[in-house]
Amino acid sequence: MAALTLDGVNKSYGDFDAVRDLSFQVEKGSICGFLGPNGAGKTSTLRMILGLQPATAGRIEILGADDGRKVRDRIGFLPEERGLYKKMTPVEAISFFGALKGLPVAEGKKRAKAMLEQQGLGAAQKKKMKELSKGMAQKVQLIASVVHQPEFVILDEPFSGLDPMNQQGLEAMIRDLAANGATVLFSTHVMQHAERLCDKVVLLARGRKAFEGTVDQARATSPRFLDLEGAITAQAAAALPGVAGVETLSDVDGVRRLKIALSPGAGGQETLKTAFLNGLDVRGFALKETTLHDAFIGLTGDHPDQLAVPAETAR
Amino acid sequence: MNRTLLIARREYVAYAKTVGFWLSLLAFPLFAVLGGGIPLLIRSAEPIKAVAVIEEGPATTGLAAAVRASLQSDLDRQNERLREAAEKGQAGAGRAVASISGPKIRLVAAPPAIADATGPARDAAIKAALDKAAPKDRRLDAVVFLNRVDGKPAAQVWTARATDNDVSSFVRTALRDARRTELLTAAGVAPAVAQEVQTFRPEVKAFSPNAASGGEVSMRDRIPSFIGLGVGFLLWSLVITGASILLNSVMEEKSNKILEVLLSSASATEILTGKVLGVALLTLTVMGVWGGIGTFSLLSASPETAAAIGQVLLHDGLIFYFIAYMVGGYLMYAVLFAAIGAFCETPRDAQTLMGPIMMILVVPILVMQMALTSPDAPVVKVLSWIPFFTPFLMSARAPSDPPLVEVILTLVGMFATAALMVWIAGRAFRAGALSDVKLSWKTFGRAITGRT
Repeated sequence: MAALTLDGVNKSYGDFDAVRDLSFQVEKGSICGFLGPNGAGKTSTLRMILGLQPATAGRIEILGADDGRKVRDRIGFLPEERGLYKKMTPVEAISFFGALKGLPVAEGKKRAKAMLEQQGLGAAQKKKMKELSKGMAQKVQLIASVVHQPEFVILDEPFSGLDPMNQQGLEAMIRDLAANGATVLFSTHVMQHAERLCDKVVLLARGRKAFEGTVDQARATSPRFLDLEGAITAQAAAALPGVAGVETLSDVDGVRRLKIALSPGAGGQETLKTAFLNGLDVRGFALKETTLHDAFIGLTGDHPDQLAVPAETAR
Repeated sequence: MNRTLLIARREYVAYAKTVGFWLSLLAFPLFAVLGGGIPLLIRSAEPIKAVAVIEEGPATTGLAAAVRASLQSDLDRQNERLREAAEKGQAGAGRAVASISGPKIRLVAAPPAIADATGPARDAAIKAALDKAAPKDRRLDAVVFLNRVDGKPAAQVWTARATDNDVSSFVRTALRDARRTELLTAAGVAPAVAQEVQTFRPEVKAFSPNAASGGEVSMRDRIPSFIGLGVGFLLWSLVITGASILLNSVMEEKSNKILEVLLSSASATEILTGKVLGVALLTLTVMGVWGGIGTFSLLSASPETAAAIGQVLLHDGLIFYFIAYMVGGYLMYAVLFAAIGAFCETPRDAQTLMGPIMMILVVPILVMQMALTSPDAPVVKVLSWIPFFTPFLMSARAPSDPPLVEVILTLVGMFATAALMVWIAGRAFRAGALSDVKLSWKTFGRAITGRT
């Protein structure tokens, strides 16, 4: 059962089309990664889902409502650019935002204390927000966005600015949310998080959907690679079975490093076996699994970090 | 608690917790007490000066008596003020005024060492009497020698302190009066008539068909105009302080990236309303405290005036007009300032639009004073119809009973404009809160028309 459905959604800012004909679904209780390079239209889409911005065209349905504003109390949202009232304590901030979502203040404070303890922020409860480190403040903001136990959680670039330890902690929190029945949609341009967390990914490039499916399906869109090192020519490597293409990475006195793209479905074992049987001078080899990162580059033709669109038009 | 009230409460508490709020709350009454009380205290605590008056030669006979008569006249006037104040039940205020205005001089007999001596011996005796080290019962604060120069009364005044002008001023006035009496007598005017001329103070009474008594104008008739002007200024202060707080609050939330989180939890209208309400309660708290202190002081010093003010406010529902103008006026400007704040991250961003708005706000300040004396002047009437000026100018005009149709239509115009402003500001606020673009008329226009 879909918790979120987008159907032919468009968003334009003047002459600029930020999102074009976007359709996808997110199943209830799943974790969906909303991937795309900077300026791909992720934030615009998330704002349309929340009802903060109207779609220029198309239909959005979230938790059975045709406008995110109608079910805002059932949604938790962590925006990309984060901030809380600097003079509030974490407990005050969390309970205030919880109260805005309909949670009684006393219950909000109780939950805030428990969640802060759980996240190792018990000692920071009585400090002002301005006294907390960026990582701590970000954790507090995430708690503030889910303290009311929403059915749908939208996280816009939740991992940005966090150190590896905090990133790991955040991943655990997202898993907990899904384990407790919440549907999670998070945007990121860091593929490793999506690879570890997501049941499904939706890839956006230049405002258009480039892919929708599981992580494995995404990986399958990109070929596996075999790195070979030795006195082998590119022509000899290209003649091996299951080889789709060869790229020479280096050539030092006839000893070359070759990057071999395997054909779809080829496992690489047959290619290596044939190379040895044919007496090729193989001095080293490495079979590389396709990552989501590779799939991303293959699908978008861009590095995830590089596809900048002017910030003004990206909003 | 609903979202609007939650936001209003947060807004209120956030400012009420700051030191600046308490400073502004206490500063005004404190300065009022310091500004009014300290000079009063200094003046009333000032010691009464012992002054010896000596006539130099037979030509000066009678001048000392004139000085004594002048002092007695001042004392009589002071007693008269006290009696009038007591009759009006304003004994406290009367004593305060009397303590400031009353003479602080006591005439004493001249010591023989000064009166009988001449030349350097007399100078030495004067210096000894004015010296701080002199025994208290023989110490003088001033010695006045009365003489004549070209036949006209003159004086030499010795004082213990070189900067003390009180005795000189008093003697100057007394001798001027004495000279006037002399000239009138020389011209054949009877001394009693001359004295009458001296002390005559004409009683002028103002009458108007609009006076409460139907004839004679009293202070009670002037109070409404002052109240109208006061309410106009109060509203102006409310707009300036309240709207500035709102502008800064929204700007801070925008720069701290809080607005987007808020917008995901509440509608733009709820946020805007909550903020406007919170800041209104904050400014009303300040004004309530000031008003309370003022009312208490007025009731203590002049219960009659306090009662008259109360009657004026309740007369013909004037207080409800004032409240309506305050609500409409504050709403119009507050939402506008909040919408501007949603586009700005620094005060510099806001300056481009704040300048013209502040210029608009100067106009009612200038015209309100004219409304006090000429509430029906064409310029005042015409400007009253402009919704942005209506709350200030109609508040100032309301006590002078403007035509009812004018009151109703300006109120309708003001609230229609306020509703339009809320609508415009709501759209602009939502667009501005989510936008990174700088504020300009173009972006503002696009926000209002929904083309963002």
